[in-house]
Amino acid sequence: MIAKAKTANDVAPLGGGTNLVVEMRASGVGPATLVSVGQLAGLRGITIADGTVTIGAATTVSDILRDPRMKQVAAVLVESADVFAGQMIRNTATVAGNICCGSPAADLVPPLLALGASVTLRSGSGERTVPLDGYFTGYKTSVRKPDELLTAISWPVPTAKSASRFYKLGRRRGDAITMVGVSVFVSLKDGVCDTVRIALGAVGPCVMRSKKAEAVMQGKAPSADLIAKAAQAATAESTPIDDIRASGEYRKEQVQVLVQRLLTQSLESLS
Amino acid sequence: MTNRKTLKMTVNDTVRNVEVATNETLLETLRRVGAVEVKCGCEKGDCGACAVLLDGMAVDSCLTLTHTVGTRAITTIKGLGTAEAPHPLQTAFAELGAAQCGYCTPGMIIATQSMLTHDTATPDENDIRHGLSGNLCRCTGYTKIYDAVLEGAKAMRETEAAK
Amino acid sequence: MNKLDEPTVAEQNVNFRQIGKPRTRTDAPGKVFGKTPYAGDYVMPDMLHARVLRAKVPSARMTRLDVSKARALPGVASVLTFRDLKIGTVATDIPGQTGFKRRATDQQILVDELVRYQGEPIAIVAAETVEIAQHALSLIEVDLEPVPGVYNVFDAQKPDSPKVFGTDNLVASYKVRKGDVEVGFAAADVIVENTFTTQYIEHAFLEPEVGLGWEDEQGVINIRSSTQAVETFRYIADAMGLPHSKVRIRGALVGGGFGGKCDVTVELYIALLTKATGRPVRLGFTREDSFYGHGKRHPFIITHKTGFTRDGKITASKIDITSESGPYAFMSPYVLMYATEAGPGPYLVDHVHIDSRSIATNNMYTSAFRGFGATQACIAYEQQMDEAAKVLGIDRIELRRRNLLKTGDAIATGFKVQSAVWTEECMDRAMAALGEKPKDKGPIKYGHGLAAYQQGYGRMIWLHDTAEGWVGVEMDGTVLVRSGMTDIGAGQTSSLAQIAGELLGIDMMDITVYNSDSSTTPLAGTSSASRGLYMSGNAVRLAAEAVRDRLAARAAQHFGSTADDVDFANAQVFLKSDPRKTMPFKELVATCASEGIHRAELAIFRAPFGDWIDPETGQGQVHPDYTYGAHAVQVAVDTETGEVTILKSIGAHDIGQAVNMAAVEGQIEGGVAQGHGYALSEELIYKDGCLVTPSLSEYLCPTSMDSPRIESIVLESRSGLGPFGAKGIGEPGHTPAAPAVANAVADAIGTRVFDFPLTPEKIARAVRTARKAG
Repeated sequence: MIAKAKTANDVAPLGGGTNLVVEMRASGVGPATLVSVGQLAGLRGITIADGTVTIGAATTVSDILRDPRMKQVAAVLVESADVFAGQMIRNTATVAGNICCGSPAADLVPPLLALGASVTLRSGSGERTVPLDGYFTGYKTSVRKPDELLTAISWPVPTAKSASRFYKLGRRRGDAITMVGVSVFVSLKDGVCDTVRIALGAVGPCVMRSKKAEAVMQGKAPSADLIAKAAQAATAESTPIDDIRASGEYRKEQVQVLVQRLLTQSLESLS
Repeated sequence: MTNRKTLKMTVNDTVRNVEVATNETLLETLRRVGAVEVKCGCEKGDCGACAVLLDGMAVDSCLTLTHTVGTRAITTIKGLGTAEAPHPLQTAFAELGAAQCGYCTPGMIIATQSMLTHDTATPDENDIRHGLSGNLCRCTGYTKIYDAVLEGAKAMRETEAAK
Repeated sequence: MNKLDEPTVAEQNVNFRQIGKPRTRTDAPGKVFGKTPYAGDYVMPDMLHARVLRAKVPSARMTRLDVSKARALPGVASVLTFRDLKIGTVATDIPGQTGFKRRATDQQILVDELVRYQGEPIAIVAAETVEIAQHALSLIEVDLEPVPGVYNVFDAQKPDSPKVFGTDNLVASYKVRKGDVEVGFAAADVIVENTFTTQYIEHAFLEPEVGLGWEDEQGVINIRSSTQAVETFRYIADAMGLPHSKVRIRGALVGGGFGGKCDVTVELYIALLTKATGRPVRLGFTREDSFYGHGKRHPFIITHKTGFTRDGKITASKIDITSESGPYAFMSPYVLMYATEAGPGPYLVDHVHIDSRSIATNNMYTSAFRGFGATQACIAYEQQMDEAAKVLGIDRIELRRRNLLKTGDAIATGFKVQSAVWTEECMDRAMAALGEKPKDKGPIKYGHGLAAYQQGYGRMIWLHDTAEGWVGVEMDGTVLVRSGMTDIGAGQTSSLAQIAGELLGIDMMDITVYNSDSSTTPLAGTSSASRGLYMSGNAVRLAAEAVRDRLAARAAQHFGSTADDVDFANAQVFLKSDPRKTMPFKELVATCASEGIHRAELAIFRAPFGDWIDPETGQGQVHPDYTYGAHAVQVAVDTETGEVTILKSIGAHDIGQAVNMAAVEGQIEGGVAQGHGYALSEELIYKDGCLVTPSLSEYLCPTSMDSPRIESIVLESRSGLGPFGAKGIGEPGHTPAAPAVANAVADAIGTRVFDFPLTPEKIARAVRTARKAG
């Protein structure tokens, strides 16, 4: 995957290259200079410190799967990484690249949004950290400036009283492009929903949080009825298109099905 | 236009200097220098026929720019074993009918080797499904590939244990 | 021993030494060690690289074509357009053995005036590098003025529709009239009528089309290509105005075919550019080229109206069949014939009425695909049987049992099948292997499905199919086989080695097979129509038997016995009556050599020849023989998302006699996986003639994650026409898999999706619709 600058006519960061190499060769044009972030050893690795998980921009999808700690601190990301493309792509593609390519169907973004992740952007003039929620501004657009490099992704280690789930609905099981991707995160405090994050993939111009669905749950005692209402809210907030994989109508239905299912599973696992 | 540069590459333990254009993929480079056992199926990372090992890790050579390989050792199916000194996976694939047209076979064996090294040396059928999902096979229905991977992995463990 | 009272079980040929066992194929070592050269792996000094310019629109008139800038580009050796062609058209027929060619079905080689499908070649370029050739394509100036096209078979049949083929878009049509269907319906208690549709699908062989051509010192154009059919040299020669003897196709081991490498593709462009430049030319299709550059599987619309008595006996079968041909004929008429012949399935029906037609459109042209039209026919008749069972309230397996053809019965075309018909046993074995259906869990529902089938093997008998094969013994006792048969991965050459080895007592791994060369290996026809083993195997068997007979006669003389007492095994010759009397095979061969005894034989095998079936009634013989069997599937369906998981998939087939059991299983397993994809995920989507799924991430073949372990149950009636009683299995394993999946899904969800493929979306919608309907 790539971390491609928005207006990069001359320079672009190259992650694993599993998207950018194909794009460059299909169009016959590419940036004059590629910075191979994927090979910068300093940017590869997973650290867990002070209740925060941080992964460098060169960390691959396989790195996520092969680090036994990840099941504790980001089980939902592991779930997603597990159904991400095929082995060779997982060995090459970076988590950062999956964010930077900006695809609305990017599989790793919903779980990262569910985990409440932030990204670190670095340029010659300094470094800033922005929440992944709000990072995307539209179809393949983001707040990252052309001279900024996405160097790290981080999220808080989930608390014990929390659960999260991811599901990828594809037209086949292996190596598929997502029709609908949903990830949820719920934490409970005193019997009511404390933090709720619901992230939706492939049902809008970019991967998005359904704030309306989250608001339905927030501060309420979970119930089947409440979950159904949240799922309805998420469906209402989604704006999927028709494409070769599925109709918008089906996608909307599936947002309902999957949000409901994943919230139910998450909450059941906490009870 | 594209720049060319001479790179030092290690292919199957042989070091060679190769002149490479900056936009050239490893698949193109390898086939150009005679490593035609690396197969071209789609050039988009959709089929896995071109898989090779970089320092023991399987990648799609069609998605790898040769310039980014650096010092990593490249291993193709020919580097895994030969008729005289076969790799257990090669033996298992041949004996159990896991190669039909054979075009996916080099990539399939490479991906298997990588999975056994990095994910699990004792795969069950689901591990195999997961590890090989980026390698399309259109001939076998995968059944004999599952058999061959199970058998080959077992032989590898036995070889390892005997050491 | 007491099996003798079962007349269908042949007792001969059961004491094989190599045949019938699961053997490592002779081609396997080369493949696992990366040593096998495929057609794309060859290079030559001074070689040029070719690319094809394709039309981006499906229906247009070319008003301007200017290649001057492309020709002027440094490094470009040749740019050819229709103006440079002597003849301009090439045959789309089967490159058969009869010398006859269908009339008026040729296609233009390069667009002359009209573009008839998206991707139709406009110009071909040869240059010093692929990059230069690609650049040259971008310099070709083409003006294409859109012309109204027709993109579905309904519109194409309207009187005022644009005409793509002939005067009425009708590429072929057939009729079957057996008994009196109205009498049959009058006798029916229940009439069930349904329409089933299938989609365009892609072969998706892993190796895209590729070839390398050069002109040799005799002026012969040689083409090393990835092909199922070296016999296409004739059509290439015809298209270039050359004698047939001046074009030679040399195959290589092929990276998958499935019917998609039977027609002429890269070979002709290579030949033209080689001739134009005098230099070797390599053309490798990209994956995208492959999507645009060879014929696809036919979409079909099949309506069944079937009469049943209350106790489930079929009284009448009326079937209406429409297939989509695209703009050119290619295999469409033959594929339609297969679908028509197979129409009512493996059932005994007295009153049959079938009308079928293949219709031209401006969608991609269609041609051979594993199973030909018999597969689409099976998708319809087997879903119809399940729907009828539901209406009749009879168990689905029982309904089939009451109607299955038995050995000696006449099929829809009136032909009485001579070989064993073991469908029932296959059906029972497959269902037994399926076991119990798991209990539903919330939205996850489980389903079982079965499909039985009939599939012809060998060519239609009016094509007068023949195959030649050569077997010879070197002076050191090593054995050579020569056969024109191409090897597309099914183990074609390995089986020939095994047959010759069995007969001459030499291990198959020690036999060298030369194959797939149209000039120096005796022509055996294409590896298609499940005819490879049947035809080339019989030819090699005949040749090996002839050599063996001569060697045996000489050995008998040596031992002082009779030739029929001589046997061959483990590179030894010995007497059956006294196995202590033995001599090394190579000693016998050396003796024969010194005495001038002929150690080689070129044999010809002729399939049964016959005439066309009666055009008015469709009665007569179509195929030499048929394979029968059944496939059973267990699925889990998520009724909310519509996702299907195939849990078990079991094919049971009477294949007559296995030559290499592992290869037989491999054919079944691979065919089944293609059936899974056919039913669930594979679909070439054309929007107004334009392909919107031209990659392997959009065209979805099953991956390992989608594929359960497939089980093969192999029965051997030893009653087929192939060597040692073998029947064809290349296509039969595939044919029932997709309808079995469809029936399992319908069983799980309690309703049916009638339009292939059964995508999650269609399944979820069907469940919702059924729920609303209560």
